[in-house]
Parts: sequence; C-alpha cells; structure tokens
Amino acid sequence: MKLHCVSLWLLGTILMLCSVDNHGLRRCLISTDMHHIEESFQEIKRAIQAKDTFPNVTILSTLETLQIIKPLDVCCVTKNLLAFYVDRVFKDHQEPNPKILRKISSIANSFLYMQKTLRQCQEQRQCHCRQEATNVTRVIHDNYDQLEVRSAAIKSLGELDIFLAWIAKNHEVTSSA
Amino acid sequence: MQTFTMVLEEIWTSLFMWFFYALIPCLLTDEVAILPAPQNLSVLSTNMKHLLMWSPVIVPGETVYYSVEYQGEYESLYASHIWIPSSWCSLTEGPECDVTDDITATVPYNLRVRATLGSQTSAWSILKHPFNRNSTILTPPGMEITKDGFHLVIELDDLGPQFEFLVAYWRREPGAEEHVKMVRSGGIPVHLETMEPGAAYCVKAQAFVKAIGRYSAFSQTECVEVQGEAIPLVLALFAFVGFMLILVVVPLFVWKMGRLLQYSCCPVVVLPDTLKITNSPQKLISCRREEVDACATAVMSPEELLRAWIS
Repeated sequence: MKLHCVSLWLLGTILMLCSVDNHGLRRCLISTDMHHIEESFQEIKRAIQAKDTFPNVTILSTLETLQIIKPLDVCCVTKNLLAFYVDRVFKDHQEPNPKILRKISSIANSFLYMQKTLRQCQEQRQCHCRQEATNVTRVIHDNYDQLEVRSAAIKSLGELDIFLAWIAKNHEVTSSA
Repeated sequence: MQTFTMVLEEIWTSLFMWFFYALIPCLLTDEVAILPAPQNLSVLSTNMKHLLMWSPVIVPGETVYYSVEYQGEYESLYASHIWIPSSWCSLTEGPECDVTDDITATVPYNLRVRATLGSQTSAWSILKHPFNRNSTILTPPGMEITKDGFHLVIELDDLGPQFEFLVAYWRREPGAEEHVKMVRSGGIPVHLETMEPGAAYCVKAQAFVKAIGRYSAFSQTECVEVQGEAIPLVLALFAFVGFMLILVVVPLFVWKMGRLLQYSCCPVVVLPDTLKITNSPQKLISCRREEVDACATAVMSPEELLRAWIS
C-alpha cells in the first residue's frame, strides 16, 4: 500500500512539474506579437521562396516530422533555432530589395526580442538542453552547412513559416487571438 | 648671400600667389556654408504612435527636405553599416516623421536624419539615445457608455490592432462583485450586462498592448442608472391579485350557476321508498271503513301479510 502511494505521489509530482514548466514557458513568449511577424513574412514569402534554387531540399525538415519534439525540449529547441536564424541566416543573407529588406529587418529584430524574453524566463526556470534537443539543432546546422552559404540562407528564410507555425503551436502565443 | 635672399623672395612670392589662388574660389562664390545637419532630435511616442522630431534647418527663401533612416538593434549588432530608409520619410518637408511603421519590434532603434537642398545634403544627425517602443506613453482609453433599453453598452476608442482593453464593471452597491471583460478592439459597441431597473452600474477601462506587455492607467469611472419603473410594478401586482381572484371566483360562480339552472330546469324529484306505488291502490286498501275493526282485529299470519303486502 505504501509503495503504491509513494509511486502515485511521485507521478503526480512529475506531472505537476511538467505542466508548471510548460505553462511557464508559454507565458514566456506570451507578449510577443507573433501575428505581426507572420504577417511580415507572408508579404515577402513568395519573393523569397522564388529565389530558392534547391526546392527538393529542406533545412528545417526535422521540425515538420518532429511533432515528436517533446515539451521538455521545446525551450531548448526554440532558443537554439532563434540563435540559428539570428546568428547565421539573417547575417548570411544580403538583400538588395529595400522592401524585402524592411520586412526581414522587422522579423530579425522581433527574433532578437524573443531571445531576450526567453533568456529572462530561463533565469527563472531551467531551460535544459537534453541530448535529443541538441541532436535536432545539430541536424539543422548540418543541413545548412551542406549548401552554399547564400542558397542555404535563402532556403532557411523561405522556411520561416515552418518555424513560426511551430513556435505558435508550442508556445500557444496566439491562443488569445 | 644675394642668391639666398633671391630664393627667399621667390618662395615668399610663390606662397603669396598660392594663397591668392586658393582664396579665389571663396571670394568668387556666394557665402553658402555647408548645409547644417538637423539638431535636437527627439521621439514623442504616445499610444504606440512614434513621432521623430527635430529642429528645422532654415535656409531663407528655400525649402529644405529631410530624409530619415533607421536601424534596429539587430542591424546595430550584426550589420552596423545597414541603415534602412524610413517608409514615409524619404524627402519629407516638415521637421517631423511618423516612424510607427518602421519601429516594428520591441528593441532599441537608432534613427538618423539629414537635410537636403537641391544637390546639397547635410551630414547625418543621429538620435542621441536609441528609442525602444516599450517606452511609449499609454493614456487611459476614451470610452462611451450608453444604455440601450436595459443593456449596458460600451464603445472604446479605436487605437489600432495592437490594443486590447480590459473593462471592469460593477453594480453600485456595497459588497457588489466586480466583473471583468476583455474587449479585443475599439470602435465597436460591446454589450456588457443587462441592467436591473433601479440599480446603478459603474464602468472603467484600461488599455493593454500585447507587443510590449504593458497596461495603461484606468479611465475615469463612469456610472449609469436605469430608472426603476414603479407604476408598471403596481399594475403588475394588481393584475396578479386580480388573476388569482378570477382563478378562484369564476369556477365557484360557474358551479353555483350550474346548480341553479339544474334546480330550475330539470329538477330531480326522488320519492321515498314508502310512498312508492308498485301496484293498484285498491288491493292495498282492502279494508273499507266498516270493516276497519275487522281489519284491525284480524290477525294474519306473516306469510299472508307478506303476500298481501307484495300483491
């Protein structure tokens, strides 16, 4: 009887911790204006994706097939992918068109804000990077490195809608919209 | 010695001539200084509308145009050479620029302005402290409270898609519960509550900007009262009492009338058993007067009696 109680108690505690952790993470990005970022991207999506010279290859493919990114890994994967875009993709892409440049700048600066918000939450809660999350990130970086820098950057920009949809789903930031 | 002085003289003459030639352009052209850069850049931001302002560059008799460029924190960290022309202010006349459409993230933005006159352009003048839109001044929202019959309706100012509103309302009586409703956008009438007659209701509202996670102060509380309609209440009371009376009196009346009619129209007369004549009356009265005594004294046996009685 005692063992039964103890195991139930442990299970309950774990579940509670998980839900608290996830709920807290959702609150982390709740003040981000995801709708605006999605709108900005929609306006340039066609132009960006038209410049993609390798349509049969994807860089973020792991996100689509990986609905299997577990809730515990969401924080780490979000952090890593934001850094991927801010540190690599936006930097590697040179945009000559001022209209598109304006939208990309808007998205890049919004990502910077999201990184800051996520960092604040991290200070309060653990944002551990488990092996699975690190693997996902590494695969994406490897995919990126396999292409020539400019093509890789343009392709990654074109796949922003995948990333934005994934964020919205995992962080429930559009729940109030 | 003579050679030395001659050389010195030549040098002096050359120098003199050089200065003279150098000064000619200055003397010949008009006194137009290089176009000064605009000064005193500042941003006035209210309710997420951001206005960059500067002191105008005055050139008598000429119209000076201004160009504005911006740079987000991303650009300043990763690509500091990139400045993006403002959406609305490439060659604008007034000494101000609405940069709302340019400041699209909640990060510090660098802003710069320069003046243009014909082919001349001034140097860039940069805003001293980068502007972050989370420093915008949020004012309490304007609201209009109306009564639509018994419905409490609120209409808030339309402040744009970035604004949501928190509306608090309660009955003005001690211990009343405060209700809260989120209103997604302004400019549309929203129903809050159906009011009870004779009660006063109070409302206040505050704005919320999701993008910066900030609330404005609450607006002034506004109260409305719905007139308690006393006359119809009394009427209703009377009507109720009357109805109840009718419900009782009418069946009673109907029943009574029914009985009256019954007695007057179709009375049912019921004879007692002893008066019932089942046979000819002569047989029963078998004794005449003179035979009264005989009848009186004759003793019949029970069977004869019964037979006589039955017949």
